[in-house]
Amino acid sequence: MSKTVKVNNVSKRYKLYGRKLDRLRDLIVPGKSYGKDFYALNGVSFEAEHGDIIGFVGVNGSGKSTLSNIIAGVIPQTSGEVEVNGQAALIAVNIGLDRKLTGRENIELKLLMLGFNKKQIRELEPDIIEFSELGQFIDQPVKSYSSGMKSRLGFSISVNIDPDILIIDEALSVGDKAFAEKSLAKMKEFKEAGKTMFFVSHSIGQMRSFCEKVLWLEYGQVKRYGPVDEVLNEYEQFLDQYKHMTKKEKNKHRKAALKRQNLVE
Amino acid sequence: MRSAITVLFEQIKYFYLVRRLSLYEIKSNTSSNYLGMAWELIQPAIQITIFWFVFGFGIRGRAPIGDVPFFHWMLAGIVVWFMISQSILKGTKSIYSNVRILSKMNFPMSVIPNYHIFAQLYPHLVLLGCVLVLMQFLGYGASLHYLQLPYYLFGTLAILFSLTLITSTLATIAQDVHKFIQSIMRMLLYLSPILWPPQTLDQDWIVTIMKLNPFYYIIEGYRQAILGNGWYFIDQWEYTLYFWAITIILFIMGSYLHVKFRRHFVDFI
Repeated sequence: MSKTVKVNNVSKRYKLYGRKLDRLRDLIVPGKSYGKDFYALNGVSFEAEHGDIIGFVGVNGSGKSTLSNIIAGVIPQTSGEVEVNGQAALIAVNIGLDRKLTGRENIELKLLMLGFNKKQIRELEPDIIEFSELGQFIDQPVKSYSSGMKSRLGFSISVNIDPDILIIDEALSVGDKAFAEKSLAKMKEFKEAGKTMFFVSHSIGQMRSFCEKVLWLEYGQVKRYGPVDEVLNEYEQFLDQYKHMTKKEKNKHRKAALKRQNLVE
Repeated sequence: MRSAITVLFEQIKYFYLVRRLSLYEIKSNTSSNYLGMAWELIQPAIQITIFWFVFGFGIRGRAPIGDVPFFHWMLAGIVVWFMISQSILKGTKSIYSNVRILSKMNFPMSVIPNYHIFAQLYPHLVLLGCVLVLMQFLGYGASLHYLQLPYYLFGTLAILFSLTLITSTLATIAQDVHKFIQSIMRMLLYLSPILWPPQTLDQDWIVTIMKLNPFYYIIEGYRQAILGNGWYFIDQWEYTLYFWAITIILFIMGSYLHVKFRRHFVDFI
């Protein structure tokens, strides 16, 4: 089986500045660093094979979204290498749409920016509109859409461009049940077609039924990576513990992790 | 230098993107108004009327400039100003206001300021057409001098692109730049030969300093082409050389900055 995504020792560093001035200083003054470093990801490595369906789990702020954005090529990593073979599409709740344009125009714009030509766009458009179930709203400006409609449109675009690698960042939790089921069916279709998929969700049930492998992130580092049942059982145990920790213990746990992230309070 | 070639190559390779994205930009700008595209003519018309009233009628007391009536003189110069100021303002904020919609790093980012400039080109051509038609009735008919117009138009696009490459990058890093450019543009309106003729100043050195502004060249060129009273880029060939030198220097600087920072545009927002 061939590797489709190789992530090697990837880190993402954000700078936290106490004052606005520090940000400017950091840009202009050479050779000196201002502000505190914050590692959203710290030395993450893993590989995904053709047809893998990998779930990302972790508590809030563990770097799941950052990692999905880096794999999708939306944001650059600070260090390390990411090798992606094929076209990656990110499906997130907040997909960038032009609020003043209509749904149809947004579809065309988005496809244009993704590098499709006029003919391909004309072929894809009806499928996307049909899948989104927006009906007559497709010719209304996006600013009049509800949040569910917006994510339905975004989801339909990303799914219908037939990507080789799909990254789903908590996007299935919006929209009604009927649409979620339809989306899940589409995911299954992709699964059978042997596409690589990444799945970020807080729903452990959804993960168990859908994923094969799970990557557990904790404060920007890989805690476990392995078969779904093994990792999820352990993760659930941890969550149970975490829930019952006293405030002091939680703090201690966080501090130990933050220390690794180079941000000591 | 390498980045300049990269950026130039991207403009040629992705020209179809520039063309098509600029149309969506126009749609996005006009969709929320009832009068839509008509505003691209109404706004300049209101401004021209006010400027004529204040400067031509009020301050100058209807005195002509040389042998050209003030209104004709102003109209021939101001027609390109609307495109210049709008392109610079829109181009400057183009990257930071669009980077979210792109959502892909491998998108050729250097076309972003360019398609915002092109979105201003269509209204400009319509406005220019209207002005040329109007000029026929005002006694300044079509002449061979019109042949210069495509040259000046190209010059305008070239310098606008070079300039917005710089300003859009800087504005993404610090959005204060956009505010700064806004003030500069307001100043430039009065420091360019649009509303009053600097040639009448008795101190030549002031005119020389004003000519450092490359838009001086564009505006005077447009004026002579429309009024049909000279071949500015040939008569003032030293100024032509200066203009293109400035454009090329700005382009090389802009490309360098753009290529250096573009991978991290998303991080700056």
